[in-house]
Amino acid sequence: MRTADLELAARCRAGDADAFEELYRQHARRLFGLVVRMLGSGEDAEDLLQEVFLQAHRKLAGFRGESTLGTWLYRLTMNHCLDHLRGRHAKMSRATDSLDDEGTAEPMAPAPAVPPAISRMDLEKAIDALPPGARAAFLLHDVEGFEHQEVAEILGVSEGTSKSQVHKARLKLRAMLRR
Amino acid sequence: MNCETYENQLGDYVDGARASGLPGDARLAAFERHLAGCARCQALVADFTSIRGAAARLEEHVPPPRLWTRVAASIGEPQQRPWWRRPLAGAFPSWAPVAVAVSLALLIAGATWLAWTQEPAAAPHEAVGAPAEPDTAPAEEHYEAAIAGLEQLAAWQDASLDADTRAVLKQNLAVLDRAISESRAALADEPADALAQESLLDALDTKVTLLQDTVALAADADAGSDDAAGAAKELNQ
Repeated sequence: MRTADLELAARCRAGDADAFEELYRQHARRLFGLVVRMLGSGEDAEDLLQEVFLQAHRKLAGFRGESTLGTWLYRLTMNHCLDHLRGRHAKMSRATDSLDDEGTAEPMAPAPAVPPAISRMDLEKAIDALPPGARAAFLLHDVEGFEHQEVAEILGVSEGTSKSQVHKARLKLRAMLRR
Repeated sequence: MNCETYENQLGDYVDGARASGLPGDARLAAFERHLAGCARCQALVADFTSIRGAAARLEEHVPPPRLWTRVAASIGEPQQRPWWRRPLAGAFPSWAPVAVAVSLALLIAGATWLAWTQEPAAAPHEAVGAPAEPDTAPAEEHYEAAIAGLEQLAAWQDASLDADTRAVLKQNLAVLDRAISESRAALADEPADALAQESLLDALDTKVTLLQDTVALAADADAGSDDAAGAAKELNQ
């Protein structure tokens, strides 16, 4: 896998337009879904992903194969998403912390369980309401299927932080879906 | 121990980890013993498992075909012109074929605009429940007509271009044709998909521009060789 990635990166660096299109076709589909859910808008996702691939094209010279091309692209994408959300946050002058830190305490009163068949719409809406850090970890782990070690590598955090963010996200989703 | 101390183990348990009896699994084994008698953790495990399952089954969001066209174009940004037009850089003379190409493009732009703006007015007359024709159809027809005309002009002048330029143009046209095919395939699945409609028109519009430039470039090359022939004639006199 790493060898194939290095070869593809080398072809891209050499200006092989087909190679860059191959890179795009391999990853754009999954990345687009992730970005749509991170930003909550297909239009913004298009703009952001265009910027991500432009950056990737410029930065491929620095790709050394220490991670897979996929992980490298996910990291670039998530950095862009979180920067974008921080900018949006600042513009809206919301009182928030750096990524998350709203309380995750469960309601004191007993609440009904999450319905066994969760509607897609309800879940999408609830994910959209998560704080960015927890949303990023949840999307990578529970939607995209990455292991905590990979999530940590993509987000540049420790494995423990990835676990804690996913736990926080699940608790918040649970609270929202039980209403 | 209280439930909060098992946060990581609860997550691992939901993700499928089970204590195997090995020494490293001591905390997971302790959590499993705690879980057997804790209704709160049992409820959390059940709910988290439902959420995890639903998350894994969420529908895919498919990027519109035009995204690749945009990415490919942005890679050529330093050149100020889209990458598929890079070999065509330079001022184009107002020569006859260029005028024809420009006229065709203007005609198409006008006709497309008219078709696009008049289309919604026709909608109320359609029978309710009748299969809706894609909104792009009238505009698409005009683009196709212009493309056919420009392709003919380009074919006549093909010999004026050098082999390298012809190869680049061919490759770029192939990229656009692929974007057009992908948009059409997306519209075949979902005729009302606004992104696919826009992608299709973007790709058709870009193809018109590329063919227009091809004609202009060929005309430029022809004019250059005419000038050279004229200069040689003058020298020979």
